[in-house]
Amino acid sequence: MREHARSTSRRIAKLAPIFVIAAVVLAACGSSNTAAGPKKSGFTLFMLPKFIGIAPFDLAHKGAAAYAAEVGDKVNYGGPTKADPQEQVTFINNVIAQKPDAIIISADDPDAVVPALKSASDKGIKTVSFDSDTNPSARVVYASPPSAEAIGKAQVEILGSQIGYQGKFAVLSATATATNQNTWIQFMKDTLKDPKYAGMTLVKVAYGNDDDTKSAQEMQGLLQAYPDLKGVIAPTTVGIAAAARVVSQANKCNVVVTGLGLPNQMREFVNSGCVKKFALWSFEDLGYLSACAAHHVLAGDITGKSGDTFDCGHLGKKTIGANGIVTVGDPLVFTKDNIAQYQF
Amino acid sequence: MSARRRLPAGLLPLLARWELVLILLILVAGAWSAVLSPYFLDAANLFDLTKPYIVIGLMALGLTFVVISGDIDISVASTLALTMVIFAQLWHGGANIGLASVIALAVGTLLGTANGFLVSVLNLPSLAVTLGTLAAYRGLAFVILGGGGVTGFPEAFTRLGFGYVGKSLVPVSLVILLLFGGALALLLHGTRFGRYVYAIGANREAARFSGIPVVRVRILLFALSGFMAAASGLLYAGFFGTARADAAGGALLDVVTAVVLGGVDIFGGLGTIGGVLLALLLVATLRNGMGVANIPGSIQNIVIGVLLLAAILAGNLSRAVRGRTVAAEATTQSRIPVRQ
Amino acid sequence: MTPATRRLSPQALVSLAFRLREGGVLLALIAATLFFALRATNFLTVSNWQDISTDVAMVVVVGVGETMVILTRNIDLSVGSIVGLTAFLSSATLASGRGLPLVIIALVAMAIGAVLGLGNGLLVAWLRIPAIIATLATLSIYRGLLFQVHEVYGSDVFAFQLPHSFLYLASRKVLGVPFLAILALVVAFAGAAALRWTNWGRDFYAVGSNPEAARYHGIPVRRRVLMAFIISGMLAGLGGFMFAARFATVNVVSASGFEFDVITAVVIGGVNVFGGSGTILGVVLGAILVGTFTDGFILMRVSEFWKIAFQGFAILVAITIDALITQQLQEALRRRRRREVLAARDARAPST
Repeated sequence: MREHARSTSRRIAKLAPIFVIAAVVLAACGSSNTAAGPKKSGFTLFMLPKFIGIAPFDLAHKGAAAYAAEVGDKVNYGGPTKADPQEQVTFINNVIAQKPDAIIISADDPDAVVPALKSASDKGIKTVSFDSDTNPSARVVYASPPSAEAIGKAQVEILGSQIGYQGKFAVLSATATATNQNTWIQFMKDTLKDPKYAGMTLVKVAYGNDDDTKSAQEMQGLLQAYPDLKGVIAPTTVGIAAAARVVSQANKCNVVVTGLGLPNQMREFVNSGCVKKFALWSFEDLGYLSACAAHHVLAGDITGKSGDTFDCGHLGKKTIGANGIVTVGDPLVFTKDNIAQYQF
Repeated sequence: MSARRRLPAGLLPLLARWELVLILLILVAGAWSAVLSPYFLDAANLFDLTKPYIVIGLMALGLTFVVISGDIDISVASTLALTMVIFAQLWHGGANIGLASVIALAVGTLLGTANGFLVSVLNLPSLAVTLGTLAAYRGLAFVILGGGGVTGFPEAFTRLGFGYVGKSLVPVSLVILLLFGGALALLLHGTRFGRYVYAIGANREAARFSGIPVVRVRILLFALSGFMAAASGLLYAGFFGTARADAAGGALLDVVTAVVLGGVDIFGGLGTIGGVLLALLLVATLRNGMGVANIPGSIQNIVIGVLLLAAILAGNLSRAVRGRTVAAEATTQSRIPVRQ
Repeated sequence: MTPATRRLSPQALVSLAFRLREGGVLLALIAATLFFALRATNFLTVSNWQDISTDVAMVVVVGVGETMVILTRNIDLSVGSIVGLTAFLSSATLASGRGLPLVIIALVAMAIGAVLGLGNGLLVAWLRIPAIIATLATLSIYRGLLFQVHEVYGSDVFAFQLPHSFLYLASRKVLGVPFLAILALVVAFAGAAALRWTNWGRDFYAVGSNPEAARYHGIPVRRRVLMAFIISGMLAGLGGFMFAARFATVNVVSASGFEFDVITAVVIGGVNVFGGSGTILGVVLGAILVGTFTDGFILMRVSEFWKIAFQGFAILVAITIDALITQQLQEALRRRRRREVLAARDARAPST
């Protein structure tokens, strides 16, 4: 008897979710699904960077939107709030529910995103990667910055030329799982085997996690732990800005800082002479290229096979290389002489 | 159940009403989400929306017991990470996946027991203890696995966290959550042990004098919380396909919100499993609705944060309506349960 | 809890216990310094300690505010979000080129922080929401506010947009001591002075020891709690200004998790999580101890992941010691009181 009142309310509580779901399922059965017929344009693309809120990805978005406007596509944009593979997976799932025609993604972790992207592919959504690749099995085309090998070599050369090809140096990277970072670092290590760089030793790879505070602390730690450090290569826009600031504030500009940086972020340090030379490429062009590739994949023009060609507006004709990779062009090198020309 | 029976007559209808309030809120949230985005009202999407929240749900279920007994455990996410990392390393090192899972669950229980020991035997405040273990367990997870992740779990395993029952739209993890929910509801609402939990939460000293083995029960509750965190860790690995040391970093907000919103009194002594499950559904609906409408994560957190505050305020209001203030309650300790 | 407010003569016993606690932290600090001096390269250099002190400075400044909140038996988890938000606002204002003096910017940051702290205080003191929940919620809400502000502003703030006076604030030194560290010392002294010599400062201890008794003594408990949160917010605002000076780039996730570093320093420094006892000196020592370990690990080239685990275990050790001390203290005082009562009773009615 005394159980009755309580169990009634409990029963309601238990069964309620089922009623709610059932009601909505019935309602949903009535809604129509958009039929996917063969189209040549008017696609909806969703651009999903590693995380939102930093300039390189904003620029990529700008480029992608510019291309989409040229051909009548639409680009939606969004991503996790920090470089977290799990947040990115959750985000992908939300994007899938929005039923875009294609996802353009820069992956925080090449493997973590595979199940979610496969789920997308099962639902007819194509995936193109840019900036940081996913596992090739999960995407059709990878819009790449200048070849990883070229970047790795260039970084070592830029540093070497400033330290007389002698001495200890370190690498300040982003996150330990980022594909692009690891590929570049590997090519840097390969480049060091060349006798030209025999006098240079890589003493440590530190991880700033694409976080400014952490990068600054890691940089400080490097300076303290290796007092005879000659230089630091930071192939990450967050890392190089932090490293430059640390040496600048500590008056240690004799330690050469170089890497991949944004002109706007580095302008202060180049103008003051603390940083002499660093490189990058146009993120806007990279975004443009990735949207272009996605568009052509959706239109059926290319399948990601080596040798496929397609037209990319102001970037001209593009050819896909091995492994579905298409590169955006050559790296840009910034120095005091030319940095005023670049406003990004 | 004695605790509830002794409360003023106005309370039972109020409790039943709270669960109905939650149902109403879920419908409102669903309607709002449907307005926000046309992609929300899709059968597949609706079932999928529960998947990421199973993890939150399992942790919330474990935490419910601890909070009802008058304590708090903020180390659940770190326990999840540490047990998951141990599981992944064991499997990666060649152990059978079933064995690794069992060990992970055992470790989780152990970690929870450690919390329980510090709180119950050494009488340390549970907030401080679990604040310490929050960091200690998380740090150990990083020490064991570093910054990388373990991937490539067999499909049979990931199906638990990610897959569906047969060819239907129903996720396996939802079934798992409902099974746990049912079992724990039975434990909390239908056994003597469950009554002990409420009694300790209402008035620990009186419970002790009633002959309830308070020290042992409290340790068991923390052990349960640790076990549930480990279980959610296994589903987490299945759902995301990767085991990482930084897993579930932001989960605490949602877990606490689900518990508090579910009607569990933060001071102890009140709450139901059903309420927590409903609150979980509400949080999941809101988050999914906002996610599908492309609302950024930090805005979503604002909404959930406000919801959390509103839930506590509602609790305070209902207590005030019943003629008591929070401070008075803490000192008068009038909810003394009497044994049948 | 602690009988600091009761005017019984065993005050000497109590303050001895306190002194022991800070002494313990100091001993740990000396031991750690010796350890790292032997095992890590360049630990005992001036430049290394200048680095440590700049990092510690921010923790101390925010820690003073957090201490006041914890003394009243509450907690403020939102300080990291407040630091992030005020840091961004500070650097964004400076970048907009209106040429405002740095002091004004710092004061505005503190004012904004105070308003955010007021929000916390109202939730806890007036709406009776437990501090852990309230500040867990505002942690997310304030972080979301930062996101919105960043969206409205449209981009990050770049170093070249900031005045040099600000950019190099963090590296300015007076007699070899970094400017930010001096600022932290000033704040620490002010905080300690307030706790010892102002009415409201002493009231924090009373409120945390026994809120009911404090109310009966005529202490306006709600107002004091509100004030504690306002101060915590205000100092977090100052911390935000220091953060921006130190790191220049502020984005949406800046200072995430900073509240944990602060609470660790405060708890290790002897401030009891249950309220009612603790000193600023302890907090400063605690902050230095944590900073020493962080820096030492980096120099020893030990995996940085040990830092988080270490902080956790340090908290556990600290609260266990605190609990033991409190229990011993209470036992000793109880025994003494019993003796006094029995003695008084025997004096009045000598047994036959």
